[in-house]
Amino acid sequence: MATREVISTGNELSALAGVDAGCKFFGGYPLTPSSEIMHEISDLLPKVGGTCIQMEDEIGAICAVIGAGMAGVRTMTGTSGPGMSLKAENLGLAQMAEVPLVCVNVMRGGPSTGLPTRVSQGDILQSKNPSHGDYKSITLCAGTLAECYTETVRAFNLADRFMQPVIVLLDETIGHMHGKADIPTAEEVKAGIVPRKKFDGPAEEYFPYKCEHDEPAVLNPMFEGYRYHFTGLHHDKNGFPTEEIETCRKLIQRLEDKVALHEDELESYEEFMMDDAEIMIIAYGSVSLAAKESIRHLRDEGIKAGLFRPITIWPSPAKRIKEYTDKIEKVLVVELNIGQFHSEVQRAAARLDIDGLFKVNGRPISPYEIVNKVKEL
Amino acid sequence: MSKTLMRFTGVGGQGVLLAGEIFAAAKIKTGGYGLKTATYTSQVRGGPTVVDIQLDDKEIYYPYANDGEIGFMLSVAQKSYDLFKDGVQKGGTIVIDPNLIKPTDEDRKNWTIYEIPIITIAKEEVGNVITQSVVALAIANTMMNAIDKNTLIETMLSKVPAKVHDVNKVAYDLGEKYAKEVVT
Repeated sequence: MATREVISTGNELSALAGVDAGCKFFGGYPLTPSSEIMHEISDLLPKVGGTCIQMEDEIGAICAVIGAGMAGVRTMTGTSGPGMSLKAENLGLAQMAEVPLVCVNVMRGGPSTGLPTRVSQGDILQSKNPSHGDYKSITLCAGTLAECYTETVRAFNLADRFMQPVIVLLDETIGHMHGKADIPTAEEVKAGIVPRKKFDGPAEEYFPYKCEHDEPAVLNPMFEGYRYHFTGLHHDKNGFPTEEIETCRKLIQRLEDKVALHEDELESYEEFMMDDAEIMIIAYGSVSLAAKESIRHLRDEGIKAGLFRPITIWPSPAKRIKEYTDKIEKVLVVELNIGQFHSEVQRAAARLDIDGLFKVNGRPISPYEIVNKVKEL
Repeated sequence: MSKTLMRFTGVGGQGVLLAGEIFAAAKIKTGGYGLKTATYTSQVRGGPTVVDIQLDDKEIYYPYANDGEIGFMLSVAQKSYDLFKDGVQKGGTIVIDPNLIKPTDEDRKNWTIYEIPIITIAKEEVGNVITQSVVALAIANTMMNAIDKNTLIETMLSKVPAKVHDVNKVAYDLGEKYAKEVVT
């Protein structure tokens, strides 16, 4: 793959990725620690014929983005936890109406306004179900500077493939850290773009929500002669509200199955020194960087530790986790919350003896804290 | 060269972030790895700010400097100095602006403390207070011998507007001069 070396921050790389992936509309409301995404993309988008608009708040931002998605363009927003809380209702609308969009959440301390400038990973469970109701969230989590770019690009392709919002989780540390990243060239990214499906038959035969039990809706861009109704209510093949029993059941089951039956297209994780590992550390985002350094120290002392790092957080790589937890006794989940992914590991492993190292004071977990915890196991 | 860990501290708005970015970029230019992380409070202007800079020939994972491992700190605000000084290893070097920071006798036993009036130099000798980050950059590099001087200056100039290239060159030279004077 053709790559280039850039020196940048995670937030700026995410913005650059959006533009390279063909994003043409950003609707946002600046929120620490995500603001640099909007700063950067407001410079970049006009140069490629795109638009960036600052809305009145985070709710307005997600609504504008949904509108752009309906109009047929690739679209994104960036925010942090409090913004996600405000966007939740409309993320549900985008799930129900099947509008593709990318939402980057740079996690900070919560709940509420919390710790605006401090790092956290407290939005893991929120990203699984930001809105009420049944649907299957797709959430990706960057663990390196380069992944702030590549995972944002992947999010755009997945949003168009599955016709739904895709959340990209960064955290304050990774969003603001400044260093070197080797990323694909813009041409490489452009060549990999798979646009959303379009119906090109006669307009009277167009039924956007008439699709296979495990496939997403086919929403043609508006203003091109294909009409459909758009609603958050349960709807029929035309998009008109209905309470017909079987139609309602099939719709919600399809929202689940279009993702659940295609998890192989989504699964992504990194295994670091897992080949001979006798202790498995599970960490993601910036915490995985501390974990990798701790493994360097542990290995120097002859302790065989390895890291399993989920990159696609939802749906979680549960099968792969279980393969390891079936054979490795000592498992430690390290995260900047009180066990949000830990509970998922317990579920995947069907084990209640999974250890955890958690922190919620807005400060990062240092490699030495992990080393000391591993030695206690 | 092995790993170099430096910490710049001040208050929000003083421009300590830029010096960190220049160091990281210059190290990367030489084929190594450089990372800058900043920690600040929600009080953007006036809140204590710390910038950690890691320069290494091998890949850096954890982006923050581990407390007790930092070899060099430069500080231009008392509250930031008090908050972050303990990250410096015993016997390490600390540069302070004596008009803004009063170290304790205990501090002077723990670390080698040099006093350079960074803000005054920038304001009166260079004639532009904003150049304090470049004065600081020159002091840090002269004391730590972290990066080839010409590469660092070239990187610094690429990050500031052309119209202020000359004053920033002056700022670098003055920083270097004062650093050499206090060390000898």
